[in-house]
Amino acid sequence: MRISRSAACLAVAIAAVCLSGLSGCTKADGASQTSLTVTGSTTVLPIAEVAAEDFQTANPGKRVLVAGVGSSAGIESVANGTSDIGTSSRDLKPEELTLGLVDTKIALDAIAVIVNPSNPVTGLTKAQVSDIFQGKIKNWKEVGGPDLEIGLVNRDEASGTREAFSKFVLGKADFDPTAAVLPGTGQVRSVVAQAAGAVGYISLGFVDSTVKALDVDGIPANEKTVADGTYPLWRNLHFFTKGEPKGLVKAYIDYVLSDEIQNTIVRDAGFLPITAGGK
Amino acid sequence: MADNKQAQAPEPDVTPYASDSSLSTISKATYFKEAALRNLFLLCACVAVAGVGLIFLFVGLKGWPIFEKVGVWQFLTGATWYPTKGSFGILPLIVNSLLAMAGALVLGAPLAIGTAVFLSEVASPRLRELVRPAVELLAGIPSVVYGFFGLVLLRPIIARLFGGLGFGLFTVWLILAVMILPTIAALTEDALRSVPEGIREASYAMGATKWQTIWRVLLPAAKIGIIDAIILGMGRAIGETMAVVMVAGNARVIPDGIFKPFLTLTTVIVMDMPYASGDHRTALFGVAIILFIISMLFVASIRVISRFGKEMG
Amino acid sequence: MQSRERMDKRITNGVALGVIWLAALATVAALGTILVYVIVNGIGQLTPAFIFGWPHGVNMEGGIWPTIQATLYVTALAMLITTPIAVLAAVYLAEYAVQGRLVSTIRFAADSLASVPSIVMGLFGLALFVEGIGMGFSVIAAALALSFLLLPIIVRTTEEAIRAVPKYIRWGSYGLGASKWQTVSRIVLPSAMPRITTGVILAAGRAAGETAVVIYTMGTMINAPVSPLDPGRTMPVHLMLMAQEGINMPAAYGTALLLVLMVLGFNLTARYIGRRNRRMQG
Repeated sequence: MRISRSAACLAVAIAAVCLSGLSGCTKADGASQTSLTVTGSTTVLPIAEVAAEDFQTANPGKRVLVAGVGSSAGIESVANGTSDIGTSSRDLKPEELTLGLVDTKIALDAIAVIVNPSNPVTGLTKAQVSDIFQGKIKNWKEVGGPDLEIGLVNRDEASGTREAFSKFVLGKADFDPTAAVLPGTGQVRSVVAQAAGAVGYISLGFVDSTVKALDVDGIPANEKTVADGTYPLWRNLHFFTKGEPKGLVKAYIDYVLSDEIQNTIVRDAGFLPITAGGK
Repeated sequence: MADNKQAQAPEPDVTPYASDSSLSTISKATYFKEAALRNLFLLCACVAVAGVGLIFLFVGLKGWPIFEKVGVWQFLTGATWYPTKGSFGILPLIVNSLLAMAGALVLGAPLAIGTAVFLSEVASPRLRELVRPAVELLAGIPSVVYGFFGLVLLRPIIARLFGGLGFGLFTVWLILAVMILPTIAALTEDALRSVPEGIREASYAMGATKWQTIWRVLLPAAKIGIIDAIILGMGRAIGETMAVVMVAGNARVIPDGIFKPFLTLTTVIVMDMPYASGDHRTALFGVAIILFIISMLFVASIRVISRFGKEMG
Repeated sequence: MQSRERMDKRITNGVALGVIWLAALATVAALGTILVYVIVNGIGQLTPAFIFGWPHGVNMEGGIWPTIQATLYVTALAMLITTPIAVLAAVYLAEYAVQGRLVSTIRFAADSLASVPSIVMGLFGLALFVEGIGMGFSVIAAALALSFLLLPIIVRTTEEAIRAVPKYIRWGSYGLGASKWQTVSRIVLPSAMPRITTGVILAAGRAAGETAVVIYTMGTMINAPVSPLDPGRTMPVHLMLMAQEGINMPAAYGTALLLVLMVLGFNLTARYIGRRNRRMQG
């Protein structure tokens, strides 16, 4: 039984690797922390991850594990202790204010309403945007565009971007339930870029030449109007911690707030440094 | 006969045995060893039963509270799925899953059966060596790759050709049809191959063309196997998640067109699970147990149909 | 009259066979389109930096090595767990079992397990292994969940392999006075081994491509798992997340291509073993 003997050897080898790995495995504990967990908003994820990478390079022996699970899940996990930092692209809800979380704002973000470049519409009022996303307006001709059915693109309910957009634009109203629900910024962007009647919303930082950002209430969406506060759809990006940040957690947060990171990684991710807004 | 040397009492020269019944011809040690081994193997086989039980237990337990809260009937027939507002009716999801499955079957089953007929009756051995591996390879492609392909290639094309966003039933039907094709084709080919050669020869001898033989003799003869294949394909279609979630559009309503986004029993879990908590999460486990029951119903129906078919002769 | 019937017969025959040819063509074309598309778009990504590098940067630029490691690790572990149990279970069903209620139940259970939607299996793994037993997101939780999925597949192929061993070989063995276990372990199993191996390798290909099961049991963190308790992100999960985020599409294409190549590798190896075996048996 030649084959089964070599299979047995392989099995023993794998088992040996597994067992040797087990001995070297330690899960993070509180006091002498060597690893820290950061979970939450997929919008903040790029900043958290790259900063984590560079932080680990600069501080060998320390591990920063980052995951993007949505702002709500991030807040929940930092509140119940599953992670050390909960990132969020939205402010705390009223019921979350009692969780004992400390907020550190780390960047500024604006939400742009995007349409296909072939769409002649250049701007909408906030009320029109609200009606479109509620499904009350179904055709572009109702807002001065061509006779073309509106293809509504929404984000998934876990998205902090959706939460913020809903708060800014819809208020208490609901999204049109027949809208397509997509789980990522890039997907929204590429769908809008390829379908003539599509409309969606993404972080301003991810707007590129494949889509067109609309003016909202006459204000164009660009860094200047966000920085001086005239553009209406903007928000802070947060790092939440349970209590004041200490030790490794504080070191990491300070690192993210440093000028170097703010002017490179934050901008690379399409956001504005927290210092630029002054709000 | 090494075992015999370990006998505790003088044993006669043994004749070989083929089952445990001839106890007198083997040593006690051998008997116990054989019995122990047999029971070990039986235990292994029962792992499957344990698995089914465990799934029912754990998924069911996690999902049970939602049935208690909302009521099984209301859960299954409620027409609104809006968990964030407390509405837990999965009827639109059930309808959407069935719609997706039906279309995939209409597209995929004829294609699969045609391919199976090709492989079993029409193709030369050389062609068979080319096409059969192709079918097997199609079966091996991970569903996430199918979904990815649908997302990046199919969706834009459909958007350009038919307007809209490119998500919807039509796109899902295309992808699912290709995914269930290998399942149905492989089983149909097996069924066709097990039809005795003599039947074919008799048909040709009576002057039938190849097609007449296939249509009037072979396919009816393989009917049970083909139905089994189709039901298995149905089960696969309704249980598919990754491929569907990337091209369906995920709107929690019954779509009013084949190019409009929709959500199914499987995609709702994948979309909502990352952030669901409390009742919402329980409801998702409830959906999972419903899916499990549906798939077991498919398996049971295959058994019933096979037994029925055998009785019919 | 007769010749018109003959004409009709022939026309129908021709048309129908044409349709059948089209069906087969469509199948091959579907495969070809998918493969060509994935290869053409992904081939540019296949540099050593991509395969052995780590992802870094805002959008997972760089490489996907940790996902490759995670995929291989969980696949190997799952096969290690399932194969012995499945093979022994198949031995029972093929050699020892008597038709009866118990065997019917076992077969029904195996078929049910085989048709469980993989997302249900994923939630099961989450409920039992990750949360219930408390393993957390880990390779071992994913491997255990996967092994339930793979069990019926390997049982089926192993049983077929065992049944394919000719009866006269067993009779010869019993005729020489061998016990049942001796016959099975020294004659039947070795004879069936190539077919069993083929089945196992194909199942491994299935395990490597699984997404829904792994995402709820192993998590989505980028990590090269070392201990079975480590979380990790496998290639299919990475592909799904890259495709959903939609920002770094070249990485998605590269991952898709590598995944397809891996599965193709499993498939071709299985086929090679099967062919070599057939050639040896004459």
